Amino acid sequence: MALSTMTGDDDRRPPDPSRIRPYVDGVVEVSGQPAEYPPEAGAVQPPPEAPAVRPYLLTGGRVRPLDASLEIEAQVRTTPAGQADADRLAFEHRDIVVLCEQPIAIAEIAARLGLHLSVARVLASDLIEAGYLVVRRPEAGAHQNKKIIERVIRGLQAIS
Amino acid sequence: MDSKPFLEPGPEEPARPQPPLPVKIVVAGGFGVGKTTTVSVISEIPLLTTEAAMTEVAAAIDRTGHVPEKTTTTVALDFGCITIDDEIKLYLFGTPGQDRFGFMWHDLTQGALGALVIVDTRRLEECYAAVDYFEHHDIPFVVAANRFHGKLEHHLDDVRWALAVSDETPLISFDARHRRSVRDALLSVLHMSLAKAEYPG
Repeated sequence: MALSTMTGDDDRRPPDPSRIRPYVDGVVEVSGQPAEYPPEAGAVQPPPEAPAVRPYLLTGGRVRPLDASLEIEAQVRTTPAGQADADRLAFEHRDIVVLCEQPIAIAEIAARLGLHLSVARVLASDLIEAGYLVVRRPEAGAHQNKKIIERVIRGLQAIS
Repeated sequence: MDSKPFLEPGPEEPARPQPPLPVKIVVAGGFGVGKTTTVSVISEIPLLTTEAAMTEVAAAIDRTGHVPEKTTTTVALDFGCITIDDEIKLYLFGTPGQDRFGFMWHDLTQGALGALVIVDTRRLEECYAAVDYFEHHDIPFVVAANRFHGKLEHHLDDVRWALAVSDETPLISFDARHRRSVRDALLSVLHMSLAKAEYPG
């Protein structure tokens, strides 16, 4: 996906042969093909015999979230406006608004509603845009922030 | 990265606290090494699974050197979470460690505090892709050998040699079935993260 934060070529460079681990005689490539959307997403019409609803039908024909960088762990919660208008929303949009009374991650929406991750992302982005969900995204640089890491350590240490 | 919310809480919801701040640790490793057990034993919610459909580039792992071939595959992502305090929620994402799934790792690892790479010492090669990835992307990680049936098949020194990880990379053994053991493995990851982190401001 076209993440603005992507590190670019770094993700696609060929492996340095000297770094191949013992016992591996082949090429180890961990790089990425960014697309995570099914190729049929761009089709004009699904074949009539399509066995299941295609993801793009659920997303109004769009294959990308409005903000494609919405993280899978980003927390969303339904706003009062979302609660008020839930009955007027259709299908998955309504399901999400009902589901997110308590804050949950985008990945949880996908898991609990049986949606593909990319679809959940698009739908949640719609609802955020419409003011029906409020979102809290991960803090940039949290992984390099000692204060946050120390809090996570303390929290884990409390587990017995 | 701009992590500002799309929508600031408006005046219509003055009293509600904002949603928790999510942080994450990636749990990687080959099939059957104990990722699912590891996540579920410590998660406060029952393990969740989501499927991500994606285009798979099979070429890179094709040792016969044939033409790149794209197919669509579905990858299951297992995850759980732990409430850390009144603000922070830690997510644990268990991801297939195979190199052919590497393309989904950007999404998974972006902003991760670190990674736990679980190995089965009988099948070390299954974690090479994960180890490579985390090294190349400078993501703090710990290699954790799961003690199947309470024992390791190989000495940890031998495992270190076979994986060719740096001496700074912690290599531990743990038991995925026990919460405290998993907790300690995750704490090892966080101590690695801490070493690379700074106080803000």
